[in-house]
Amino acid sequence: MESVNEIKEALSARSRTATLDELRSEGRRKVRLIRAEHVAAMVAEAVHAAIEQSGLIAPEEAQRLVERSRQEFRAILQQREQEARRAQEVEQNLAAREQELHELRQQFEQTAGELRDAQAELYRVRAQFESLQEQQREAAPAAGAPTELLLSLVQQMTNLKASLLTQQQPAAAAKTAGADFSAAIEKLAGSLNDRLEKLGKKMGVGAAVGGDAPVDFSGMFKGADQALESNLDGIEAKQKAGGGIASNLARLKKLKGGG
Amino acid sequence: MTQQQNTTNPAATQGADTTVALGKGLDIGTANLAAAVQNAEGGITVTVERNAFLDIPSDVYSKNMLTKLKVPYVVHNNKLVVIGEAAFELANVFGRETRRPMCDGLISPNEQDALPMMKLIIQKILGEPRVSGENCYFCVPAPSLDVDNNVVYHQGLFESLVHKLGYTAHAINEGHAVIFAELAENDFTGIGLSFGGGMANACIAYKSIPCLSFSVARGGDWIDKNVANVLGCPRSKATHIKERGIDIRDPKSREEEAVAIYYRSLVGYVLQNIKSRFESGQNMPSFQHPIDIACSGGTSLVGGFIEIFREEFAKIDFPIPIGRIFRSEEALTAVAKGCLVAAAIGES
Repeated sequence: MESVNEIKEALSARSRTATLDELRSEGRRKVRLIRAEHVAAMVAEAVHAAIEQSGLIAPEEAQRLVERSRQEFRAILQQREQEARRAQEVEQNLAAREQELHELRQQFEQTAGELRDAQAELYRVRAQFESLQEQQREAAPAAGAPTELLLSLVQQMTNLKASLLTQQQPAAAAKTAGADFSAAIEKLAGSLNDRLEKLGKKMGVGAAVGGDAPVDFSGMFKGADQALESNLDGIEAKQKAGGGIASNLARLKKLKGGG
Repeated sequence: MTQQQNTTNPAATQGADTTVALGKGLDIGTANLAAAVQNAEGGITVTVERNAFLDIPSDVYSKNMLTKLKVPYVVHNNKLVVIGEAAFELANVFGRETRRPMCDGLISPNEQDALPMMKLIIQKILGEPRVSGENCYFCVPAPSLDVDNNVVYHQGLFESLVHKLGYTAHAINEGHAVIFAELAENDFTGIGLSFGGGMANACIAYKSIPCLSFSVARGGDWIDKNVANVLGCPRSKATHIKERGIDIRDPKSREEEAVAIYYRSLVGYVLQNIKSRFESGQNMPSFQHPIDIACSGGTSLVGGFIEIFREEFAKIDFPIPIGRIFRSEEALTAVAKGCLVAAAIGES
């Protein structure tokens, strides 16, 4: 194949091109045609004959060289074909990645749009919340009615509980009702207690009262007041000397406006 | 920086000296107890004792032997209780664990009968008040981010104890005390960190006013516990490895490697929590200039601590501009010194 191409190139370099009209004007009515492959075969035949006649290389050696050249040529051709296939695969992969990238960009833009919408919604809700807070603050002084209502409700529930307990006593005195009825009453009273407690906590009127007085834990050291046998008085403690605190105190006094 | 002094009973010397400024500072730490007082030379004297004890069978021979060896003991519930540093040393010798009155920065619920021992140690290091009702500021941890701790009980308990010793007791946050001790040059503006035995305490202050304080329940004990777990040894052995003068940047053995790993983990954990807390904190002051971070506490004494701290700090995107990061020159006694500053300013 290589030699055919070379012959084609050599023929085009050493020939001229003429149109049919030009040939006709030169008085030619027919032209002889020969294919480049035939010329190559003729050249190969001539080269073989020349080598044979020269006696420099044995015909078998010439044939072996030709065969080796063909094998080498086929190997190189195969390699080039593989490279071409690989290049094609890389090209296909690249195209696929570009497509994926394009799709990801589209998704990103879509998500960014959604995020912008969500942020806008968040700002809107926050503004609404602040507005409601403001309204609540303004309305706070007039908010006594619901609290009074709740207090009234608590009072009613307390009365109901007391009434249930009062009814429980005659029932127990008569001893006509069974133990189950007493248990049910107690359960109901307990349930009412819990509800009252929960409601009170919600309203901030629970039974517990906050004490500002500091808790006295001195009782925890009652046992520690006993005189324990020890040798501590005769043992030296480890001491370290450190830098003074005069500058710290001066700075602090200055900060407090005292220096 | 620090040097040993040949002083006998601090109670006697401190009680006798009335020429120096009044006020005392007390650091009630999980690992160490330290009391600070101003001395006649214009400096301060800090008396330190380890907050641990060890009970051994009581007999006459042991008592005599301990006294000869100058090992402090108390007889409690018919047991001989060795207290302070000596307890730690004896525990190492016998391969036992010391008993610890405090856990995670607070009085331990498992060691209720340790209160008499703590009272004795505090009485010994604090000495008698020089005047009746002398101010004594003692440190308390800030509320913890990672455990549910009862600071109110702890504070009330030690208020009562200090009061019983004849002082007027005031509580001060541990991180705040570090700011009083270390950030005077910055007008008491910055971040004070105390890496103690049971906790790490943090406080950010602006011109001495604390803006945010919190703690995490990890400290030297957490390192000891984990090192002991991975090495399969008692905790007191792990403490000994940690305190024998290693450099966590250059561990020389498997044991030191374990200590270095958990130190880095502790620093990273504390920094992440500080960052997270500062980011979520409302009403935080805005600083025009970078602020300094002062580290203190016994756990920060290990070699290479501040370098590791800076390395871990560089890994996070801290929300506040930071200038210097340094370790207190007297890391073990910085909290006591800060308490003393607060007490002295209260007296003036």
